[in-house]
Amino acid sequence: MSAIGLKLFPLRSRHVLPGFRLSLGFTLFYLTSLVLIPLLALVIRPMELGPSGFWAAISTPRVLASLRLSFGMALAAAVIDSFFGVIIAWVLVRYRFPGKGFLDAVIDLPFALPTAVAGIALSTLYAPNGWIGSVLAEYGIRVAYTPYGVLVAMVFISLPFTVRTVQPVMAELGLEVEEAAATLGATRLQTLARVVLPMLWPAVLTGMAMAFARAAGEYGSIIFIAGNIPAVSEIAPLLIITKLEQYDYAGAAAIGVVMLAASFVMLLALNGLQSWAAKRR
Amino acid sequence: MKKRFLKPTEDPLWFRLFLGAVAIAFIAILLLLPLALVFKEAFANGIGAFWTAIKEPDTLASVRLSLIAAGIAVPLNMVFGIAAAWCITKYDFPGKTFLVTLIDLPFSVSPVVAGLIYVLVFGAQGWFGRSLADNNIHILFAVPGIVLATIFVTFPFVARELIPLMADQGRDEEEAAATLGATGFQTFLRVTLPNIKWGLLYGVLLCNARALGEFGAVSVVSGHIRGVTNTMPLHVQLLYDNYDYPGAFTVAALLAMLALLTLALKSLLEWRYADELAAAHRH
Amino acid sequence: MSLTVDSVAKKFGRFPALNGASFVAPQGGFVSLLGPSGSGKTTLLRILGGLEFADSGSVRFADLNWLDMPARTRNAGFVFQQYALFKHMTVADNIAFGLKVRPRNRRPSSADIHKRVTELLDLVQLSGLEARYPSQLSGGQRQRVALARALAIEPRMLLLDEPFGALDAKVRKELRTDLRRIHDHAGVTTVFVTHDQEEAFAVADLVAVMKDGRIEQYGAPADVRRNPKTAFVSEFLSA
Repeated sequence: MSAIGLKLFPLRSRHVLPGFRLSLGFTLFYLTSLVLIPLLALVIRPMELGPSGFWAAISTPRVLASLRLSFGMALAAAVIDSFFGVIIAWVLVRYRFPGKGFLDAVIDLPFALPTAVAGIALSTLYAPNGWIGSVLAEYGIRVAYTPYGVLVAMVFISLPFTVRTVQPVMAELGLEVEEAAATLGATRLQTLARVVLPMLWPAVLTGMAMAFARAAGEYGSIIFIAGNIPAVSEIAPLLIITKLEQYDYAGAAAIGVVMLAASFVMLLALNGLQSWAAKRR
Repeated sequence: MKKRFLKPTEDPLWFRLFLGAVAIAFIAILLLLPLALVFKEAFANGIGAFWTAIKEPDTLASVRLSLIAAGIAVPLNMVFGIAAAWCITKYDFPGKTFLVTLIDLPFSVSPVVAGLIYVLVFGAQGWFGRSLADNNIHILFAVPGIVLATIFVTFPFVARELIPLMADQGRDEEEAAATLGATGFQTFLRVTLPNIKWGLLYGVLLCNARALGEFGAVSVVSGHIRGVTNTMPLHVQLLYDNYDYPGAFTVAALLAMLALLTLALKSLLEWRYADELAAAHRH
Repeated sequence: MSLTVDSVAKKFGRFPALNGASFVAPQGGFVSLLGPSGSGKTTLLRILGGLEFADSGSVRFADLNWLDMPARTRNAGFVFQQYALFKHMTVADNIAFGLKVRPRNRRPSSADIHKRVTELLDLVQLSGLEARYPSQLSGGQRQRVALARALAIEPRMLLLDEPFGALDAKVRKELRTDLRRIHDHAGVTTVFVTHDQEEAFAVADLVAVMKDGRIEQYGAPADVRRNPKTAFVSEFLSA
């Protein structure tokens, strides 16, 4: 046995507590069979198209439009949710009023509610004859069955991420820095703008990234309200399913790879953000 | 001495009212209205009609299927979560970060992609497609596929809850037990488990909620065979697409009630056992 | 231009943190509020700084009804025990903050601000650390930055809340000496809260020994030590 092998997997366990091999073994087995091998299939499948075939598969107008829609609207939703998320978190952390506990719990609704339920509810709500849709129709605004429906669904689904990443940071801020700023002559507005908000910035960005990642891959809450018209209001996940139904496995996998790559980039960005934030603490 | 101005850390009243109004309005319109709509539509024709819709054979079948999928996925993922958290927090070994990233993966992957990967492995044109068909084993478009997809999207929940919690708690107690002669299992059952029970419950709660409510991943592998391979969320879609709105919203209301129950239990656990649950950077 | 504190009282809920504290300090004096935790010394300091409101009593300073002014306008530099530095700003930006937030008509030019920051860094012996972030500094260095930041606004009153509490003994002694030196140089009326009697006696001109929200004895360190007026004072000082 090589020296390296001995170091990594010593003959006699060098761990204090028993159960290392059992727990690690089970964990690795589970992960390999459940995650690694299927993911491998995802990455390998498009290879049968060859590089040019892969490129052709993902650069058709329909695919590009769906990717643009999924990622573009996800970004917009993330920005909107971050803006309102900061406001909501501030209200929840700093203000006291009856019913605050209820409001705080409700934030997690999109997290707990099955996406299909959210989907049909939003679709019915924003349809031309729905509670909100009818009001908007009077101003000539159509939400359901348009790309705006996609946006609304994404804003719904991602809100918990933006609120919940900022909330604990706000709570931990403590009041002293605000007091310090006041003794130094800053007005309340200056304190909020120059001291409080900059300290929240890493958390806001993290929340935005998580919101974006979630919204880009979202399916269930969007397809009912979206309209799903190819190249107009068809999100990428739906296109994947359509290709599967047409037995175009390679094409579906190609889009899947693009989305997976985007997820990896987001994960890396998020990790980078966390270390940047940690360095400033 | 009357206080005639605000403390340096207080916002002016007009600001508070404005911000509060914006926050409440946003939450009410975005989150509460859809929820209210679900219940209104479900009970539009009275409770009698609600019950009748639930007792529809296809609906009951979907409930059964959802319960089966969750009933298998949740305990399995609980065991996995415990094993993974144990091996990650109680030992040091290279590659831990990679392992944790792998565990986090289903969170960052689209549910449709989650279903897609199983189609690529077990589907007719997938890796094992041929051999499965030859042996008349049905994974996709049948219960096993649904269970697999459900397991995939929900397995991080318990692990993610337990890992920071157990990391926080350290190894001292377990090491003490080891010096006193306890086996691994004894140590886990008698020393670790009592310390993590609330975190475990919390993770199982979230895992279960997601398992019952998962739509995208299951949709890909299910085949949508009415009364056979439709979970509750898929059945909602089927009824809705067939313009059976009362029926669709009835099942939706059932799921919404489950979600509200989950939220209530979640809040209860968070409130009473804040210390025992993994601190701060959860959610 | 003395500082006159008259019967200041404050309750938190039903807990009386301050039960009527009074003292008078000359312009430019260095007063130490000394006492165990719960004696009200920090509450009194925060009231002087405008971070809390008194329920009753009055404070006069520089011919002003001090308690009628919001913290922002008092120009009272405040140094916190945990520094309260702006972590996302460099040392230089921290110190310059009080100058940068001034309304346009009173704001110095960038060049002047830069000059002042450099002078202050010199004063607290941190020259060359302008571009560092608080997380890159030691505890003692952070407290020096906090002090420089408070001094930047040319305060008419300097308030320090157990500023050396989180530091080790050697650093405390150094900072204590530096604080006294800076005070003497600037001539600013200083109120300094501590529970450490050695510290209070070493650095202050006047010591107020506090207990249960009242000032038990007030006077020059030597006087207080020689003639303790109450049992508490003599016990506290001999501990």
